[in-house]
Amino acid sequence: MVITSPFQDDDPIVFANDAFLALTGYAEEEVVGRNCRFLQGPETDARAVERLRRSLAAGDELTVELLNYRKDGTTFWNCLSVSPVQDDSGRVIYFFGSQRDVTAEKQSEIALIQSSEGLRSDVAARTAELEAALAQKTALLHEIDHRVKNNLQLISSLMLLQSRRITDDKARQALKSMLERVTAVATVHRRLFQGDDSQRFDVADFVRDLAGDLALTAGRDDVLLDLDLQPAAIAAASAAPFALVANELISNALRHAYPAGRGGRITVRVAPDGEACLLSVTDAGLGLNGAAKGFGLTIVDLLCRQLHAELTTEQAGPGHRARVHVPATVN
Amino acid sequence: MTRRKPADTPLDVLIVEDEVILAEELAWLVREAGCRDIGRAMSSAEAVALARSLTPDLALVDVHLRDGPTGIDAARAIVEDCGAVVLFMTANVRRLPQDLAGACGVIGKPYSETAVKTALVYLETCLRTGRAPGPPPLGLVLAPGFSDRWAARLSDAG
Repeated sequence: MVITSPFQDDDPIVFANDAFLALTGYAEEEVVGRNCRFLQGPETDARAVERLRRSLAAGDELTVELLNYRKDGTTFWNCLSVSPVQDDSGRVIYFFGSQRDVTAEKQSEIALIQSSEGLRSDVAARTAELEAALAQKTALLHEIDHRVKNNLQLISSLMLLQSRRITDDKARQALKSMLERVTAVATVHRRLFQGDDSQRFDVADFVRDLAGDLALTAGRDDVLLDLDLQPAAIAAASAAPFALVANELISNALRHAYPAGRGGRITVRVAPDGEACLLSVTDAGLGLNGAAKGFGLTIVDLLCRQLHAELTTEQAGPGHRARVHVPATVN
Repeated sequence: MTRRKPADTPLDVLIVEDEVILAEELAWLVREAGCRDIGRAMSSAEAVALARSLTPDLALVDVHLRDGPTGIDAARAIVEDCGAVVLFMTANVRRLPQDLAGACGVIGKPYSETAVKTALVYLETCLRTGRAPGPPPLGLVLAPGFSDRWAARLSDAG
């Protein structure tokens, strides 16, 4: 500890004990008569010194941690407590300063800050890495999505180009049917990833696109397509097989329910039905009875088995109704 | 802003697509819709140069071209330099800017033969009369600016 005298010029040390001399490395004659600032050095925090100066000027008590310098130039953390000593009239006649070497505590505190800063920067670096990886994966997903769509377009363009060269009606019809199936799958891919949930496939929106396109392609102004579409979704994994089933049922009705010269109505309905999604295609004409059980219906049977879907067909007054119950989740 | 096409001449269509099979089939659809297939470009530079020299009425533009995702800039240049109407045909609908780079609309890939033909017939009416014959057909999404422009004419006509 030291005692300083604010009455003398520059508040010099008037007494220093052995502990102070041992701590700082100075001899008594080297410190008495000097202001304590000789303990400060280049790394000493000027703001802490300023706080100390103001406190002394105000005659207040203060405890402050300062980086101080020994005589040999080495540093130590000094936890300095200064208290004024007053005379009977309340005037400050001495300052009493006690020093405690807190270098060890200070170092572990600094080490802790450094390690938590290190941890923070590690976390930041790791987060940046993960974000970059996610961005890369997202870009890859877009790239694959783009390629799938382009390749489906390529397949249908090739089929269309070839169908223009085919003169045989039956062969051309078969190719057209295949083109419709490819278009149905293509429509699925156009609609996938459009919603927020990439695992669910919106059946109503899809059927609107598909049925609208099939009706326009059929070019039958005398056949009215009636769409009753309620919001319903199935697993994205079921979308392509479902699309092919829907394509066959709607396209069969458009092709076979009403022979040329006899118009009518085709109703396509989508509705949620408990844990399933219902698709029904109803006509008031010949329905599927108008067609021999061809490749299209074989596809429907096979895919319904794959989907664990239940297919029922029934007479509907005049006409015909096909219903498919598709489980909303993959079993 | 855009030229009004006289009724007795077919619409001139430029196809900007780097997949030749797609371009070839698209050219068929263009001709079947009663339009003239006046040129094909596979890169953005080629597209802009052809648009300047051939002054098409309509340009069908893919976003991904031989020189990268340059279809958007090419579309803007074709609209601004040549006054042509641009229709995007792309698998990347969501990457298009909000204003569709001045294009009138977009058809998402994969498109169907019917969707393209119907859209061409619809746009032909819009270009010839300056008004839409009704809401856009299935598969065609119009840019807000164009649906306003063509719908405004519709309401003007009463």
